[in-house]
Amino acid sequence: MNRLLQDRFDRWHVLVLLLTTLGAAALLLTAGGGGDAAARSELNRQLEQDVAYRARIDFLQDLYRPVLDLEKSGARQQALLKLEEIGRRYPGEGYGFIIKGRILLQLDAVEEAVANYVEGVRLNGDFADRQGAFSAWNEIDQLVSKQLPSFSERARTHPDNASLKRVLNNLHYLQSRLAGGCE
Amino acid sequence: MPVFDRHFWIVVVAGGLLGLIGVGLAVLGNPQNSGICISCFLENSAGALGLHGNQRMQYLRPELIGFVLGAVFSAAAGREFHSRGGSAPLLRFLSGVFLMIGCGVFIGCPIKLFLRLTAGDLTVLSGLAGLIVGVWFGLKGLAGGIHLGGGRQDPRGASGLWVPLFFLLLLFLLLLQPGFILFSTRGSGAQHAPLLLSLAAGLLLGGLAQRSRFCITGSVRDTFLMGRRTPLIWGLAAFILAAVGTNLAAGRFHPGFYGQPGAHLDYAWSFLGMLLVGWLSVLIGGCPFRQLIKAGEGDADAGLVVIGMLLGGGLVQAWGLAGTAAGVPLYGKVAVLVGLAFVAANSLLWRERVAEA
Amino acid sequence: MRNIIFCLFGLLCSVLLSGCQQTADQGPVYKIGYMNCNSEQETRLRFAPLTRYLSEKVGVRFEMVPVDTQDFEDRFKKEEFAFTHTNSLLYLILRQDHDLQLVATEKRGQFGARTAGTIISRKDSGIRTLADLKGKRMIFGPQLAPSGYLAQYDLMLKAGIDPEMDLSYYAIPHGSFKHEKLIYAVYFGAYDVAAAPALDLEVMTREGKISADDFQIVAQSPIFPYCTFGAAKGVDPDLMKRFREALVLLTPEDTVDYNGEQVKVLKSAWVDGFEQLLDSDYDILRGMAKRANMPPYQEF
Repeated sequence: MNRLLQDRFDRWHVLVLLLTTLGAAALLLTAGGGGDAAARSELNRQLEQDVAYRARIDFLQDLYRPVLDLEKSGARQQALLKLEEIGRRYPGEGYGFIIKGRILLQLDAVEEAVANYVEGVRLNGDFADRQGAFSAWNEIDQLVSKQLPSFSERARTHPDNASLKRVLNNLHYLQSRLAGGCE
Repeated sequence: MPVFDRHFWIVVVAGGLLGLIGVGLAVLGNPQNSGICISCFLENSAGALGLHGNQRMQYLRPELIGFVLGAVFSAAAGREFHSRGGSAPLLRFLSGVFLMIGCGVFIGCPIKLFLRLTAGDLTVLSGLAGLIVGVWFGLKGLAGGIHLGGGRQDPRGASGLWVPLFFLLLLFLLLLQPGFILFSTRGSGAQHAPLLLSLAAGLLLGGLAQRSRFCITGSVRDTFLMGRRTPLIWGLAAFILAAVGTNLAAGRFHPGFYGQPGAHLDYAWSFLGMLLVGWLSVLIGGCPFRQLIKAGEGDADAGLVVIGMLLGGGLVQAWGLAGTAAGVPLYGKVAVLVGLAFVAANSLLWRERVAEA
Repeated sequence: MRNIIFCLFGLLCSVLLSGCQQTADQGPVYKIGYMNCNSEQETRLRFAPLTRYLSEKVGVRFEMVPVDTQDFEDRFKKEEFAFTHTNSLLYLILRQDHDLQLVATEKRGQFGARTAGTIISRKDSGIRTLADLKGKRMIFGPQLAPSGYLAQYDLMLKAGIDPEMDLSYYAIPHGSFKHEKLIYAVYFGAYDVAAAPALDLEVMTREGKISADDFQIVAQSPIFPYCTFGAAKGVDPDLMKRFREALVLLTPEDTVDYNGEQVKVLKSAWVDGFEQLLDSDYDILRGMAKRANMPPYQEF
């Protein structure tokens, strides 16, 4: 310690160190809601992020409500056409792919349903989460559990069929995403 | 066989606990097969600090903080904290970036490689082969005269403090959770074991790893050099046995190539990604985990690798270089090749050549 | 230095030799018969780039032959073409009567390599169910159109409605773009209901020509395979395999040099891709044809 305070140079620097450290601590402790608007917004990035996410959930649910209503009433083809209309304005939205996958599955278009689920999950991993506003984990799990054995068998008996291989790869992708892990 | 001295048992205990806790943390909430993954954790932490915008990968992982601070305590207690550094700083910094690229393309660091393998994920076999070949390349490089220069002792003890202090700051940020630190509410970033438990596990493993010098690539390297005589191979064996046992006990052992969590089928790129990690790790003296521990011992060179890894974690996510279950993206492949070119070029540049007569 | 010269020489030789593989300019010409959907001109515009692509990929010369639907079977019987591109009903007929082999199925629209037929009415017409069709004016697509005629005919028969007896009147439009015409015919009130292919509804909605809210989908058939490439039974199996691979591996990014321009093959052909289905996948359509007493199972 003595070595650090051996002359005026040392004492001056220790003084600056103490003053700046204490000053910074005091500012942090007393600042409260102070500071300019830009700084406040930076400090609230978590809030901004969470608000944007909630807004996205609400927006997408509103946007796709007519499709979901049609699907619920059994008007599946009409729901698919409505999806086309929405797709003209918002192409490449993952939620649309998930809904389309579900409707196509109901219409027995299994290969295309799988491809749509894959597209949706690739665009947004939220759909493969077990929980959350957009979780489609259960329906994807049911799809994989039901279709994987049959497509594995078909691919085994038709080893040169590239289309079956493609569906099988898609099912394995979904299976892997359902299993979790880091992305 | 090695001498069954105290150090041997410390290595075995460190390896065993790493396997046990590695699986245990996943059981307690960390992502599947990612109970401990240095690269994933660094990507999460980079996201929490705002270095990338993937909202599913943002969490200041307490384990990372624990590793460094655990190593600090252990080194201080054993009078092994020596501030040192100054050897090829920029090379080490960039090596940290490329380590993360290799890990990102493979989806995991060498520890996670074995955690995945011990959970039955057979897609890692190509990555394992890549790691072994990479370590062998690195050893050939060292034997061929590549020498980055030894870190100089820093008698004033300043430079080696900064990375531990940075992680101390991260600990405060983790505990205080100010609004500018981001935490995922979904995705793998939102999956975590209880904070204090993770921190305690990190501190324990950090301390043990500092005592034992245990690391995965070090085990492979020393096995090449000394065969069964190195204690590290027994540490690795203990790690594998503990992880397999815990996975079996927890019902998490699912052998196969398909449907594995956080895995892809681009075997060639898994191989190359891990080759890059193995090669670089030997040249800079340790895998990502070991770099954290050395940084905690006051090694500023390792500290620079850690800072490079943190930046790399941000870049891997921000630039979309990381592999996913869908495979390895184009730019991830390019980045791995650039990384291999980087190692090859530096191997040429840093080689000490004997003057021809 | 000697080694470097040797390596450069080897490299030069391999570059020169790489140009020596067989090109599509030699060997026999194989004709592909394309069924006209709307007009011969449209067929040529759509499929000429695809035919050029196949020549380049397969390494043999292909020539396209646009064929009217009614003439297709006769001309195939006369061996005018080795490969065929037809709708799935014509594929069934040629397979049943002339042992046509399945090569690949075209992907287009939301059902991929499959499609469906729908019966539509105007939203404000009050026609909601198949039972409401009795006594109504209906417009169908061409008789050999699986998703514009057969599927709807079968739907009605299964629901106990005889199109020949229970409708007040039905018609088939003339000329090109029949499917679009019948959708507009319902939209503008010329007919009460129409047999519309699901694909046409989808495409017209996507293009903004109609709105999903304009129509009521009264009924929809199960899905069945879409347009199909086939090969005559005498075609070399290896050639057929290469032909199929070239189709199945086609991606939206693949281009071909056509009339001095790089043309996207799939986009030009209005196709999303090709799938390798199994012949058993066509059984659902066979069932429809049998129930509707349509070729190739027609009994008089």
